[in-house]
Amino acid sequence: MTLAPPGATPSLRERLFRATPERSREGQAVLLLHDVTKTYPNGKTALRDVDLSVPEGDFVFLVGPSGAGKSTLIKLLIRDELPTAGSVVLDGQNLVRLSRRHVPRVRRKVGIVFQDFKLLPRKSVWENVAFALEVTGTPGRRIRPAVDRVLALVGLTAQSRQLPSQLSGGEQQRTAIARALVHDPRIIIADEPTGNLDPLISWEIIQLLLRINELGVTVLMATHNADVVTALRKRVVALEEGRIIRDEVGGAYHRED
Amino acid sequence: MITFIAFSLRRAWQGLWRNALMTIAATATMVLMLLLLAGFWIIQTGLLAGLEFVEQKVEVVADIRDGVPDSQIADLQARIEEMPDVTSVVYVSREDALARFREQREAQGEEDLSRFLESNPLHASFEIKLLNPAFFDAVYNRLKDEPAIERVKNIQDLVGRVLTVTSFLQTAGGVILIVIGLIVLFIIVNTIRLAVVARSEEIEIMRLVGASDAFIRWPFVFEGALVGLIGSAVTLGVLGAAADPLGQFMFDFFRVLPIEVGTLGRDLVVLVMGTGIGLGILGSWLSVRTYLIR
Repeated sequence: MTLAPPGATPSLRERLFRATPERSREGQAVLLLHDVTKTYPNGKTALRDVDLSVPEGDFVFLVGPSGAGKSTLIKLLIRDELPTAGSVVLDGQNLVRLSRRHVPRVRRKVGIVFQDFKLLPRKSVWENVAFALEVTGTPGRRIRPAVDRVLALVGLTAQSRQLPSQLSGGEQQRTAIARALVHDPRIIIADEPTGNLDPLISWEIIQLLLRINELGVTVLMATHNADVVTALRKRVVALEEGRIIRDEVGGAYHRED
Repeated sequence: MITFIAFSLRRAWQGLWRNALMTIAATATMVLMLLLLAGFWIIQTGLLAGLEFVEQKVEVVADIRDGVPDSQIADLQARIEEMPDVTSVVYVSREDALARFREQREAQGEEDLSRFLESNPLHASFEIKLLNPAFFDAVYNRLKDEPAIERVKNIQDLVGRVLTVTSFLQTAGGVILIVIGLIVLFIIVNTIRLAVVARSEEIEIMRLVGASDAFIRWPFVFEGALVGLIGSAVTLGVLGAAADPLGQFMFDFFRVLPIEVGTLGRDLVVLVMGTGIGLGILGSWLSVRTYLIR
């Protein structure tokens, strides 16, 4: 194995997804929030002056009690909501100034995974993943290899013909992760992905997300799972009453003083 | 573009089959509503034709004074024909009038009394058909002072009553048809909305994975159009099967009617197809729109 100067070797992510070199900007922020405040029409302020920068390839846990603003933050990241003040920049594009017409294109750069999986019950595993490509106008000949590749990555090749109801919870969540990955996203946002799963299966899902992260995909995971957060010693961003109260690399779920 | 249309049509087709229950419910509602609309439209058409038939029966009958020379009669006929409200003028000579009287008696099986007459007691007359019975007064007033006219049969009261009844029936028929049309509109649009709402999760996922509005909307619009097409085809099939007994009913109910079956059929196809497909598209468009505007 020969040593190459840093930056000359294509990243794992590039090799996996055959991305063009200029698309990879290691170290640059995939996600940049500046002074973000969100007040809902009913007067409730969900986020206050939030600043957050997530560099490419980072793995971030977003923690905090229910109602701390995690869900609102995620809605802002996929432009399901707009901030009342401040800017949300995703992959160099300010979502606040983005016209409605361009929203779908930005959403394809974000792979999102939910606690309740959000799979279509009448479609097989393979069809559920392919659906994400079909509805965005991907030509049929490009769909098959892309779906086969992500199903292999999450380890569901053998189950690809089964319906979600025939799968375990962990397998359903892996299907959802495969669907989130199939667009070759800049960032995976997981909203309580282990909330409906037992501890052992939860670890399986976390391991999968870590492996995806090792391949170079940025991961932001909102969770209540203290054991996982504390054990992994990744970057932890803690929200409370709409403010970031802690942002530390190698942190635990709870403050350690 | 071709990918997009192929995708939309394939998704619309899948949508129909994978949600068979909703499709059947929506199509059945569509068929019932279209039958209701078509039924009232047929009745309305029959009613209007019947009223027109009645109105055409109204004519001005003017008796001509005996001994007026033929040239003067021809001159008067020409002048009446020039009136703007008049469609035709028929001159009935005294001999014609007598012949008609005899025919009527014979048709009724009565004895021909005219053979006891020494001379023909009947007047010659003009039978004047009008564009519209509402013009009766105008024509009546112009003729009653003509020197060559003995007398104009005055049926003003009768004409007035006929006009009141026919205009009431026309208005009522129109209002009922509009009300039925609105009911059909709301029920069909709502049924399709239910079918779309049942798949709101699918729309939600499409939005999350970055589907553009067009990719979300058009499959549903095509699906609505397909439900409309199937619904109107079934409706026309039912109406076609019922055409003969229906025609008999129309004939019995409204008596002799100058309805051309050909135009009725063509108008009906346009009405049912247009309403079915149009409302299918409108319903889908409106229902999906609520999920797209954020």
